[in-house]
Order: sequence, then C-alpha cells, then structure tokens
Amino acid sequence: MTEIPKIVRQRLQTNTKLADHPETNLLSAFVEQSLAEREQGQILQHLSQCVNCREIVALSTAQPNIADGVSFAPARAGWLSWPTLRWVATVACIVVIGAVVTIHQKQESRQQTAMQASTSTHAIVDNAAPSQSPNLNPAPVEAAEQRTSRKASGNHRAADAAPFEIADARTASPFAEVVPGRAKAAVAGPQGAEQAVDGPTANSDEAAVSGTFFPDDLATANLAPRWSLSWDGVLQRSLDSGRTWQTVPVATHLILRALAANGLDIWVGGKAGALFHSSDAGQHWIQVVPTANGQPFVGDIVGVEFSDGLQGKLTSSNREIWITSDAGQTWQKQ
Amino acid sequence: MPRDASQSVGEASARLQSLLSEIYVKSKSEACGLSRAQFDGILAEIARKYLPADTTQSEICDFYSTLRVEELALARACAMGNEHAWEVFLTRYREKLYEIAGYITKESSTARELADSIYADLYGTRTRDGQRASKLASYTGRGSLEGWLRTVMAQEHVNRYRRQRRLVSLDEEAEEGTQFATAEPEATIVADLRVEAAVDEVLAALSPEDRFVLASYFLDERTLADIARTLGVHESTISRKLDKLAKSLRKQILASLGRRGMSRRQAQEALEVDVRDLRVNIRSRLAQDTGAGAFSKKKAETPAGDGS
Repeated sequence: MTEIPKIVRQRLQTNTKLADHPETNLLSAFVEQSLAEREQGQILQHLSQCVNCREIVALSTAQPNIADGVSFAPARAGWLSWPTLRWVATVACIVVIGAVVTIHQKQESRQQTAMQASTSTHAIVDNAAPSQSPNLNPAPVEAAEQRTSRKASGNHRAADAAPFEIADARTASPFAEVVPGRAKAAVAGPQGAEQAVDGPTANSDEAAVSGTFFPDDLATANLAPRWSLSWDGVLQRSLDSGRTWQTVPVATHLILRALAANGLDIWVGGKAGALFHSSDAGQHWIQVVPTANGQPFVGDIVGVEFSDGLQGKLTSSNREIWITSDAGQTWQKQ
Repeated sequence: MPRDASQSVGEASARLQSLLSEIYVKSKSEACGLSRAQFDGILAEIARKYLPADTTQSEICDFYSTLRVEELALARACAMGNEHAWEVFLTRYREKLYEIAGYITKESSTARELADSIYADLYGTRTRDGQRASKLASYTGRGSLEGWLRTVMAQEHVNRYRRQRRLVSLDEEAEEGTQFATAEPEATIVADLRVEAAVDEVLAALSPEDRFVLASYFLDERTLADIARTLGVHESTISRKLDKLAKSLRKQILASLGRRGMSRRQAQEALEVDVRDLRVNIRSRLAQDTGAGAFSKKKAETPAGDGS
C-alpha cells in the first residue's frame, strides 16, 4: 500500500473537536446504509473528521460472530491447549473416517433394500403425483432472511465441529438433505419448548420477519429439499440446492439445535427436551415427549439421529443418550 | 387556493391517512398495546425530528415508508412498560445483546457487565417525572433495532473506556507496564508553513468518503475489510482507492507547493523533510478530550479485566 507523507497524517487528524455528534439512530442507520443519500453524505462528512464516531461505527459495523466473541459458558481450562488439540484432531480424523465407512456401508444396504421394496415405493410416488403443479418456484426470501443466511454462513467454523451435524449428515436420504456446516446458534436460547402446532398456521416470530412458507411447494417439488438450522435456531429449507432458504415454522419461540431429515420424516430438537416430528416434510408438526420409566427427557437436545423411520437416537447437552426403535413411541435411556 | 392545488393537497392527505392505517397494521402495534393515536403520535414526533417544517405530506409518506415500524412499535411499547412487548423483545434480543457485547469487548466479564448495563438502560432504571425513562424510547426506526442496539452498546463501550482511562492513575499505568518516557516535543518542526497550507488545501478538496477512507486506514489503522464493510463495497475497491488517493495527494500537494512559489525540487524536498523529521504522535492527537491513546489500539494493549 502506498504510504502518505506524515504531514498529511498530521493535517488529517486536526480539526477533530466536533461538538455535535450524530445521534445513535442515524449512526446505526448509516451502518446499515438505510439513510437517504443526503443524510448518508452528512454522516460521512462527520465521520471523516470525528475519530470518536468512527470508532463507534467500526464497532457497530462488525457482525457479531459467535466464534470471534466470547463464550458465556463456564470455561474449561486447558481444553484448547495445543497438546489436547493434537489428540482431539487425531481422534476426529478417526471418527470421520469411521463415519464415512459406515455411511457407505449403510447406503449400500439401503440401496439393496430399496430394490426389494421398489414396488411399494412406486405406489407412494404415484399417490403424490396428482398433486404436483408446475410452479416450483421457492417462496420469496426477504432481505432479512438472506442476512440471516449470511450470518449462518459466517458461523461455519463454530458449527463444523458439532457432533450432531455429523450425525445428521449420516441420515441424509435421496429425498432430503441436511446441509452439514450450516450452523445452529452456539449459545442456547432462553425459551423452552412450546405446544405442538400445525406448521402452516404456526406464527413464530422468526417466520413473521424472515419470509413466507408455502407448504404446498414441498409436496409439488421434484427437487430434493435441503434442511438446515439457522444460526439463531430456526429451521430452514431450500428447494434450489441451497441458493435460497425459507423459514419453516415449527413452534413459537423455539430455538432448535438439532435436526434429522430422513425422507419426509423430519425431527428437530431444542432446549429443555423440546422434540418435534413431522411426517410430511414440515407441513405439520407434533411435539414428542420422550419418556423412559415415567421420567421425561428434560435435557437440551444437541443431537438427533434417525437412521430410518423407526430407529432414532437423542443426545442431550449433558451427554444423555436416549434411543427409540419405534419412531418415538417408546424410549430407552442408555 | 386554486382548485387543482387543493385537490392535490386533499389527495396527499388521503394518501397519508391510508398509509398510516397500513403502517399501524403492519407494525402490529395493537398486539403491543399501542393505540392508533399513540402510534400516529410517535410517527409524527419522529417526522418532526428528522424532516424540516415545510416538508410536504407526500415526502412525509415516503419517509414513513422507510421506517422499521414493527421494531419501532415493539421498542416504544417496551418503553411504555408493556409486558407482552418485553417478552417479545427478550426472546428476540436478549441473547443478541450478550453476543454483541462479547464481540465488542472480547472479554466475558466486561461483556456481561456491558450487556447488563445496557439492559438496565433499556428497561429504564432511572425515573423521570415519576416514570421509568427507557432508552428504547429514543429508538426511531431509522435502522433495524438490532443495529441500533449494537450502536448503543458500541457507544457505551467507548464512553466507558474513555471514563475508565481518565480514572486510571499513573501508578496503575506503571503497574500495567506502561513506560512513561520523557514527553516528546510536539510536532512543531515544519520546515515551511507553505507545506501545511498546501496539505490543508488538498485535504479540504477531498470528498467526505475519501477523507473517511484515509482517516480510517492511516489514522485509525482499520483493515481494508473493515472499511469496505462500513461503506458497503468490496475491499479491493478500498485498496485501489487508497493507492490512488495516496498518489494523487502527493501529486496535488506538489502542484500546490509549486503554485506557492516552490520549484519542483524544493517542493519534493519539503515533503521529504517532513517525512523524515516530523515526529507526530498520532495516537495522542487522536484522543479528543482525554489525552489518552486511540481507543482500539489501547483496548488491544490493555490487559483483560481492566474494564476497558
């Protein structure tokens, strides 16, 4: 970068005693570039001379990235020290290789099963065919949602290491795809689970601000939908291979942290044992309360795995593992 | 008043009323406990604040259309103490407050302190005329509520930092490892006053954006990416602009010095003399009123937990 003479620097920093600073509303609107051109120019004029306001704008401009910020979770001393990380990396490599081999084997066995069951599968597809319509356009995605997607992509580093993402990827089927790496919020939300609601009529806050969900699209779409959790714990679906994402309402004020998609079966989990199941690709949701020996699952769900429609596993933040072999009808604590 | 003019005023008034109804519904004010009259009053107050008195109704309509009315209604309902609004606000922004504070302070205890303090201000712990004075009452919907919260936190953090720096004693500074060297002589060595005048003339001719880019990069030591994000352009644009500006500044200063009677060689020497000899303590000059160093750099240097 070409340097400037020091005299220029010196003269640049003079005349910085400015009395009237722009108010917070204008500074934040400037950062978001939502001011009229004239006002934008006025603020820029002030900023060009005021180091104080430049500092505020610089701090306001930066997008809070959880990975860059601080964690409010209790610190675990020594965890991130290099000797530990070295072994963690080795173990992670082994786990990844193992997972890839397992997935490969499962896919092969699934293909064999699919060949045998092709008759019944065709019947299902034939039933769905009459409802197909030529309109495959995904629902309009508003700017706020796109911003959310950008934020989510900014959190990849935080999300890549999440164990449940690996588990979700393993459950991917030809009909639905979970996007590994698209993040969930790393910090848990304060809200507990809510009552079960019907998907299309659900009125979650996120849905209200983020976009519109057209349930009919899914039944009519030939594209394999992708499923993902946004950084702030909202379920999202893409019908165009991840180019645009729509919010899929599940329950009001629910922050989701785990997702498993297996064909039309979608399972999502969140805080305080909140577990929801949709058997029609997100159109309708039912809350499932896992109970074993009369005790409900109350931990925060951080992992949901369903290898098929029946066999499933829940992992909680306190490392409890619950399994079901009948699509969530009964559960066993391991 | 001519018939056409009165008709157009009537049409504009009707459009305004229709827009106000539309905005009221869109803002979901009713759910937050704000009546139509209250919300209209808030909008009128905001229009008075930002628009000149002779603004036409059509311009007012355009202005209202740019406001974030849903977030505005939420913020104002919170400020008025509506419980449902507070529930919604907390659901949407409570975690964000802590995330933003963490990002700004880069230190968990300070972040928590900052977020808690802002939360108290938002709730309104101080009373004015027997009523809680919530900071949310000053939100006007010009930008997003989240962006406003971020700016409020940044502002509070900067203010706290500056207050803190004022209170740090010399002993504490010494304990932190600050070296108190003999004060350097101020940058008084200017070979020729014509150089200063020429530089001032060239800088005064810069556009605000160019000056902002120069100051951000060379004085505040912001990265290209930071500056680009603030201006909403690609960082390669900023890089090119800086290169171009630096070259153009030198060229224009030389030309200006030439107009002031210096030969090309004298002008170049004058500029070079300044570069070699002028000792400018930029950081001390950047601080506007405290005599402390520039905020960001000092912040980075200050050990965690000192409240910066």
